[in-house]
Amino acid sequence: MDKRVAIVDAVQTRHGDALGENIQEIMFGVVKELLDRVGIEKSEIGTMISSSSDYWQGISCSNSYYYDAAGANLKSGSKAADDSALGFHYGVMRVLSGQYKTALVVSVTKCSESPSVHTLTHMSADPFFQRPVGLNETVVAGLQAREYMNRYGLKEEELARVVMKNLGNARKNYHAHRKGELSLEDVLSSPMMVDPLREIDIPATSDGACAVLLAAGEIAGDLTKNPVFVEGLGWNVNHSFVGDQDLLNGALPKAAEMAYRMAGVKDPAKEIDVIEVCDTTSFNEILFTEQLGFCPPGKGRNILNDGTTSMGGAIPVNPSGGLFGANPYVARGLIRISEAALQIKGEAGEHQVRDVKRALAHSVHGLGGQLHSVVILGN
Amino acid sequence: MSQAVAIIGTGQTECGKRTDVSYPELIYEAVGRAFDDSGLSPEDIEAVVSGSMPPAMEGVANPHLYWADAMGAAGKPLIRTATCGSTGMSLAHTGFYHVASGLFDLVLVVGAEKMYEGDPQGTMATVADPFFQRPFLAGAPGIFSLQSNEWAHRYGLDEKRVRMAAAELSVRNHIDALANPYAHIKLNITVDDVLKSRIIAYPVRILDVCPASDGACAVIMASERMVKKLGATPAWIRGVGYCGEEAFFGEGDKVVWQAAINAAKSAYKQAGITNPRKELDVAEVYNPFTFQEMLFYECFGFCDFGHACELVESGTVMRGGDLPCDPSGGTLCNNPIGATGLQRTAEVVLQVTEKAGDHQVPGASTGLAHAMGGLDQFNGIMILSNSL
Repeated sequence: MDKRVAIVDAVQTRHGDALGENIQEIMFGVVKELLDRVGIEKSEIGTMISSSSDYWQGISCSNSYYYDAAGANLKSGSKAADDSALGFHYGVMRVLSGQYKTALVVSVTKCSESPSVHTLTHMSADPFFQRPVGLNETVVAGLQAREYMNRYGLKEEELARVVMKNLGNARKNYHAHRKGELSLEDVLSSPMMVDPLREIDIPATSDGACAVLLAAGEIAGDLTKNPVFVEGLGWNVNHSFVGDQDLLNGALPKAAEMAYRMAGVKDPAKEIDVIEVCDTTSFNEILFTEQLGFCPPGKGRNILNDGTTSMGGAIPVNPSGGLFGANPYVARGLIRISEAALQIKGEAGEHQVRDVKRALAHSVHGLGGQLHSVVILGN
Repeated sequence: MSQAVAIIGTGQTECGKRTDVSYPELIYEAVGRAFDDSGLSPEDIEAVVSGSMPPAMEGVANPHLYWADAMGAAGKPLIRTATCGSTGMSLAHTGFYHVASGLFDLVLVVGAEKMYEGDPQGTMATVADPFFQRPFLAGAPGIFSLQSNEWAHRYGLDEKRVRMAAAELSVRNHIDALANPYAHIKLNITVDDVLKSRIIAYPVRILDVCPASDGACAVIMASERMVKKLGATPAWIRGVGYCGEEAFFGEGDKVVWQAAINAAKSAYKQAGITNPRKELDVAEVYNPFTFQEMLFYECFGFCDFGHACELVESGTVMRGGDLPCDPSGGTLCNNPIGATGLQRTAEVVLQVTEKAGDHQVPGASTGLAHAMGGLDQFNGIMILSNSL
């Protein structure tokens, strides 16, 4: 997609268990900080796309509540619900249409004010067949993990390594609020939650927000000295019923294929320098990294064990700490994109990976990872 | 824009109390009809856009994931767009940008609602913020009656005159709905019936108010290249406009309503329309309340501010008039909310492609579709035409 849309800059909150500001204040804060950093007025923003979920926000028509706080009073805007990577795609499409030179993409979630992730994702199961069985995103991840371990012999200790790596990476991420230096024993002593996943294998939720400014390629250089170009986008949805899905070969390979085709990426492991994955559980990071094509099926453990996916490895996965560092549910996809962009800009801070030219960001929501998104960014 | 976009197929369900079908089945009904209309099949579609009212209405947290299969979306890109009442129009815009971006050539857009399975007014009451507005702004009629009163008061309009114009609009919509096979409310009423119907929230009476409906609507959008390749009959999207404003009802002027004015202005600008009253042949104005329909005439430039009653009295906006509005019976007679704005769009498509059947406006070539949403906060417009 030859340098037609660029990320000018991106801002996140310092995420937390329970932020003291309300949704409007959090939204205002990230948008104001972003505009100040870029040095433009809100009157210069063409359009605003937001992502939020009415269930997670506890307000129907969740975007009506923060619309003006997001700098969009008397502007054109819309909402791509439930996953902020989709809001990003929509913002890019609005700029590609030629109608807007700039687009603000924003997302906020305050998980501290809503029921647990288990309850809310249980509500995304259909009411007749799947809900009575007790399915939610975590339960289906457990089924997925067990199926994978049976097929490929992945060990619990290897799941633990993902937790240790990501919480370890988060120690250097200013915006993360969960961090830690854990031993194997620490992880394996965590209580079992949905076999084979322990409580610690499942990132707890957070409060947080993210704002990204997009600009048409031809003006991006006027707004920042190091624009990050959107090279590829892909997203794809799987069947509604978990029983109709192949749990180990879902929508992600299709989403990745679309993004790679657009970006002209043939061999992601060679052509992409860093990836930010929605590690919805420790196991899912392994599965998603494979399905993104960074190694053959069943070999995710190898690139984990040999340090390829660690900081300093050939393809660091989640230098930010991923969802283990912070997991504001709907905003997390845009945070992955923002992290990938900052890596390319060389502005990721203490968790900067050296010489990043191209990065990948991933997001997902739904039972069994029903809807996946992939974004390829480059310098 | 990088490529022109047209609507080449529409599908609507019969609306009403649809206990005969589940949510996915209702959606499948609309989607199937859009495929029949366009001659396409699910394999042809490159991306899908779906939406509905706030999902408290559905009782499912991610409705798009629940009915992905009913739309034939599995294995394709899918985005859920939702902006409350304007959802249907926001969906049409999301579909438009999918194609206009150049990323897709054929996109399916689906809006749906089953209002009889949920608690519509309960859901709508929770659109208002929980601290300041929710305690006194209950559901839709409260807000819109405030707006209607503010409008009449601002221009010192005679109460009886406004009442009579609104009653005539109610009759027009109800009689027009008799000719629309998909409409929910089919009542052969007179002005007298409206004037005697019971008060809901002054000045709004029950016959001034839209119903709660079950229903779905689907449209298929195509790029110019695909229109030519398929030899389809296109309704070209000539302009889109959308504008939102403050979250707090009291902060905006809802009479000289900037969100509505701006949305129309930007759509007219793209479409090259300078005199909407003359250049539009038909308009599907979002009219859940009769009084509000008149306010929109003013904001959309059909007449000067304070003069909407004259458009009714002169017959301009009536069947056979110069600018017939809501020949489908409008939202007033059919309101599955998540689909409503998309129905407005589909109805204008039917009009400009001369497929509207018994409610066809003769010779209509350019039309306006509209929807309103948020907390009386968002307005979206689409201008469609049978030529580019």
